[in-house]
Amino acid sequence: MRSGRSQTRRLLTGLGFLLPNILGFLAFTLIPLALSFAMAFTDMDFFRHNPFRDEPIRFVGFENFAWLFGHPEFWHYLRNTFFLMLGLPFAIAGSLGAALLLTRVGRRPGLIPGALALATLVLTGSLLALRAGGMSEAGVWFVFGLTAVTALVAGVFTGGTIYRTLFYLPHFTSGVATFVLWKKLYNPQTGPINHALDPVLDGVTNVIRAAPGWFGVGLPLLAGVAGTLLAGWQLRRLRQHWDDATAGQVAVGFGAAMVMLPAGFLLFWLGLSTGLAAGFALGAAAILTILIVRRPRRWGPVCPVDTGLSAEIALALGLVPLLLLGAAGVTLGPALPAVAVTGIEPPNWLGDYSWAKPAIMLMALWAAIGSNNMILYLAGLSSIPPELYEAADMDGASPTQRFWHVTWPQLAPVTFFIFVMGIIHGLQGGFEMARVMTLGGPAGSTTTLSYFIYIEGFETGRLGYASAAAWVLFALVFVLSLLNFRFGNRGTND
Amino acid sequence: MTEPAAKIPSTLTKSAGVRAVAGGLGLHGLMAVLSLAMVGPFVWMLLTSFKSYSEAADPAWMPQAFLWQNYPEVLRVIPFARFTLNSLMIAGWVTLLQVFTSALAAFSFARLEWPGRDRVFFLYLGTMMLPGLVMLIPTFQIMVHFGLVDTYLGLILPAAFSAFGTFLLRQFMLGIPKALDEAAEIDGASKWRIFWDVILPLSRPGLVTLAIFTFMGNYHSFFWPLVMMKTVDKFPLPVGLMFFDSERGQATQLLMAGVTMSVVPLIVLFIFMQRQLIRGIQIGAVKG
Repeated sequence: MRSGRSQTRRLLTGLGFLLPNILGFLAFTLIPLALSFAMAFTDMDFFRHNPFRDEPIRFVGFENFAWLFGHPEFWHYLRNTFFLMLGLPFAIAGSLGAALLLTRVGRRPGLIPGALALATLVLTGSLLALRAGGMSEAGVWFVFGLTAVTALVAGVFTGGTIYRTLFYLPHFTSGVATFVLWKKLYNPQTGPINHALDPVLDGVTNVIRAAPGWFGVGLPLLAGVAGTLLAGWQLRRLRQHWDDATAGQVAVGFGAAMVMLPAGFLLFWLGLSTGLAAGFALGAAAILTILIVRRPRRWGPVCPVDTGLSAEIALALGLVPLLLLGAAGVTLGPALPAVAVTGIEPPNWLGDYSWAKPAIMLMALWAAIGSNNMILYLAGLSSIPPELYEAADMDGASPTQRFWHVTWPQLAPVTFFIFVMGIIHGLQGGFEMARVMTLGGPAGSTTTLSYFIYIEGFETGRLGYASAAAWVLFALVFVLSLLNFRFGNRGTND
Repeated sequence: MTEPAAKIPSTLTKSAGVRAVAGGLGLHGLMAVLSLAMVGPFVWMLLTSFKSYSEAADPAWMPQAFLWQNYPEVLRVIPFARFTLNSLMIAGWVTLLQVFTSALAAFSFARLEWPGRDRVFFLYLGTMMLPGLVMLIPTFQIMVHFGLVDTYLGLILPAAFSAFGTFLLRQFMLGIPKALDEAAEIDGASKWRIFWDVILPLSRPGLVTLAIFTFMGNYHSFFWPLVMMKTVDKFPLPVGLMFFDSERGQATQLLMAGVTMSVVPLIVLFIFMQRQLIRGIQIGAVKG
């Protein structure tokens, strides 16, 4: 009796402290969630259903979803969203690389005399350049030199804190300010990026003019072969470390797709349509996956999640650039003679259908390298027991081996956390960039799902469609979160 | 690739020492160059903010002469001070409310025992997974219904409650020794007294971290104010800055001056708070 009463008391106290949050949760999460779910099944439209013009709202069942799925634009925007998420492995690698470098700097203090000497040298050099070249152009080099030297000297004195600060700066100031700034940087006429690219591209044109005729065909072929070899090597690594079914299979599937992509490009280049070439490549990848996954049991178990994941990310990192190079070669190769005549123009970045997405990914990478992910990696690195490295040293491990066998597996939980959060964020992302930088264009190439929901919900006013699209997004996030719990828990609790 | 530097052997030769110094210099040089790549866009922003209107169309980095008057010009052309004040006020209120409600909830989850506590906590965690976009449209409808569109309250209220903040502060509060509340309880302190006088002062680093995160996020906030605010005088800074980048006209040099002025307070805040901030991020995510 007494205990029951004290139980109630405790419950009331506990809930009492929770009350403000619960009210907020009801008003701004639960009720909107329910409303949104209801709206997704109605034909609600802001211009027909508002306080001034109150038409009855109709229940339309799954019509909104049918409209979405039947609408090519929706699939286009979904593809855009996923395409922008391809930057994630690069961002992860960048953060990890930055954290590794910072750790290394932090552990080697005291090179003050050398740094000061170098600083003096660079400063004198920039001053001389300034005098020689007049203020305007050389002044920039002076500013650059000054910035770099300041960072260098401060870095040596602070043991790397200043580098961490500077790396983190883009992330910290991110937001509309960054997007506005990069929009100006990307401007094809007045922006500094193309200004800097012009002389570089002239150099490339000169190389093309001087290159032998087989160059345009040979280079993409070489990239394709290198990509295939790399992918095959990674597949072998995967097979050697198998012991957990599903993750390994996913990784193998990914690897197989990567092996087959160059073949797909080759078919495309030989004149097959995109669909056919992709179909052949994916089919071959599927067959390869099945062959590897359904191998005899006695060959050993499937790889654990961290090996699978590490192989996937390493694969993506090594292969995507090679594949892109191959693809660029395949499409550009035959055009090279013409290019040699006309020269190469720098891209029109945000104004070009094919360049707008890479431009946005590049900017996101700049902001993501020194982000919270880097901080998490720094924490992860400092919590790796030094005995592991000592043991590795005893066994005579090379720096590369130490990284792949000690550092990378020890960081697997952090990587997994970053990866999954990155996917969840990526699915919802792209609204502010699109709104500030491109308005979703050109021709919808930077419209992500979130920007589409904004347009439908607040500009065309079709709340029913917008809610339906939001719930499709929710379903995607939910499925990926489930995968997170299924694999992530295993990865972190081991 | 980079592990703790190998133990320096006792038979350290001169050439090995030279190599170590050269390696260190190379590393620092690389870091300086990378830092330059990170800061480069900001350098361009700063230089462009001193250009004249006609020079802003010129891709050269250096202005012919440094025109300081772009800064007063920004203040004259748009109500910049007003926008900044709006942003500071909105972000300030959101921060205050969110830290307070999150601390209350975190106290309940971390320091009180009540039936069903952990299940409710997991429900809270679950809401972190919900994409904010799903709730956006109905929340706007609710705002329309209650007449909160174009009011500060409509911007502040929805942001005043946060599952993330609750989670972060709970992690901090779990690290405070239990014996402290027990001692206070024996002295006859109420739960509120324990919260206010014992736990809250001890979770100061967590509160500061959450405050910085919340403040920054809301100082940057663009989407919700864009949808909600109609009166120009009530615009926060990110929305207000868009005046310099509209279909009606582009004034790059003024835009850059405005962006510089909007970013500087953040950089100052970050430089002073970075130690606490970094600790907060690490505790919030790694221990969770």
